Amino acid sequence: MIRHITTVSLGAFVASAMIHGVAMAEDSEADIPSLSYETVLSDLSDPWDMAFLPDETMFFTEKCSGLSVRLPSGDVNALLGMEDTEGYSTTADDLFCYGQAGMNGVTIDPEFEENRFVYVYSASNLETPHTNRVIRLTVNDDFTDVSDRVDIIEDIPYKQEDSDHPFGDAGAHNGGRIRFNPGDGHVYVTTGDNHNGEIPQDPTSLGGKVLRVDRDGEAAPDNNEGGDFDPRIFTYGHRNVQGIAFHPDTHEAFVAEHGPWHSDEVKALTAGGNAGWDPRPNVGDRGDCPDDYCGYMPNQMEGMDPEERRAFMPMTDLERFPDAIQPAWDNDGLSQGMSSAVFLTGSQWKDWDGRLAVGFLGIGFGDTAEGHRVDVLDIADDALSVEVTTMDLPVPAGRFRSVVQGPDGNLYVARDEGEIYRIIPE
Amino acid sequence: MHRQLFLMIGTVLALGVVPAQADDVAAGETLYAESCVSCHGSAGRGMASFPALTGRSADYIVERLEQYRAGERVGSNTGLMAPHAAELSDDEIANLSAYISEEFQ
Repeated sequence: MIRHITTVSLGAFVASAMIHGVAMAEDSEADIPSLSYETVLSDLSDPWDMAFLPDETMFFTEKCSGLSVRLPSGDVNALLGMEDTEGYSTTADDLFCYGQAGMNGVTIDPEFEENRFVYVYSASNLETPHTNRVIRLTVNDDFTDVSDRVDIIEDIPYKQEDSDHPFGDAGAHNGGRIRFNPGDGHVYVTTGDNHNGEIPQDPTSLGGKVLRVDRDGEAAPDNNEGGDFDPRIFTYGHRNVQGIAFHPDTHEAFVAEHGPWHSDEVKALTAGGNAGWDPRPNVGDRGDCPDDYCGYMPNQMEGMDPEERRAFMPMTDLERFPDAIQPAWDNDGLSQGMSSAVFLTGSQWKDWDGRLAVGFLGIGFGDTAEGHRVDVLDIADDALSVEVTTMDLPVPAGRFRSVVQGPDGNLYVARDEGEIYRIIPE
Repeated sequence: MHRQLFLMIGTVLALGVVPAQADDVAAGETLYAESCVSCHGSAGRGMASFPALTGRSADYIVERLEQYRAGERVGSNTGLMAPHAAELSDDEIANLSAYISEEFQ
């Protein structure tokens, strides 16, 4: 069951007003924070992800530029540039962007104080076909440069050729979020299906998966049941996961995943689990599909009822995979570009303390509204239902690519258009 | 979204304001904010899978929008662009093209 409090119904008991950029909320039943904001950085190029040290030092990636760091003073140092960039301390000419691919996620080693390790996820042309890689870097003492690059995962597939699909250019569906789980100390890596029908259910491919490895890229123990499975695979059968977060109490992993013109999904992961996405042709009562990928069928270029799409090409196919991981939420059957997710923690978030914030890129297709927003999910203990509240955001609507809570307890939100905002609850 | 635009135009007409003319940059700006900005951005730089519009001539934009409106397949984002272009009049295409080519150099 999905219990959904929409912004409309919420409006019945929440009076909201925008006063000098401050969203004021009054509510006789729920204790919801008022939100104001500051612009931390602007004029960036497709900011993709952020990661913080305790002193508010912020590493951030730009998809076609590279890795930089914003110091607590506000100064920004450009650390690792991609091909054709200037002004970076170090440049890696094999790192490139094309379409959706480029430099994506960034995370910091839990033992950064000792080892100075940061990690980025990026497309690389060191091999052909090209691949996505998880790259470990060592940051120098004054945060002006990085060195000692080690590619701890080299073989995440990259879409090399264009195909006959929406967004069908090369470089599509990379996943790309990387996060350490404070519960087990391992790094989790989300990947995508490359518009390739075979990849998600292929136990040997790292695409369409969530990987779990140590800081050297070695598989975590007990990821899956073995057999043909690559030992680094934690869960499989995913489409394009761009969000992963860990419950603040249980450390259970939750992913947020783009849907295929329907059904963005949030789900709790279990080791070895199948998320149920299988876009191969000639399975599940489907016939041939364009370029052997049924992901947008049965009508991939025109709008149609999302429910009909779901029946034809389910995001989680419980008929063929009865044990597949069921979603806690499917965005009411719609796809609006669900991207990253983070659990909000701290009393400053009032009733939202412990709830999952989910950012949406927003994409309107057919009769689906664009839906640029950040939602707050109260996930049931069994992770099979949610209550949803939409944040009354004080910032301009846009493609919200990344949501990260900073050490100051505020929510940092990156917009594709070029900003990183600090959302301040009061 | 487009319906809202027509309603707005209808309201303006009812108030006796002079309707937008072809190559009307201001009208193009309004339409861009309604239908284009969320993918191509307020500076026309594009983002994610959506291309930049900077440096494009008015003729180029007109030609592309007319192709989308005619149902031609232009590229991998045709499925997204075609519904937006389908409802555009010749004047609206001219206004959008004038705005984009003048604003996003």
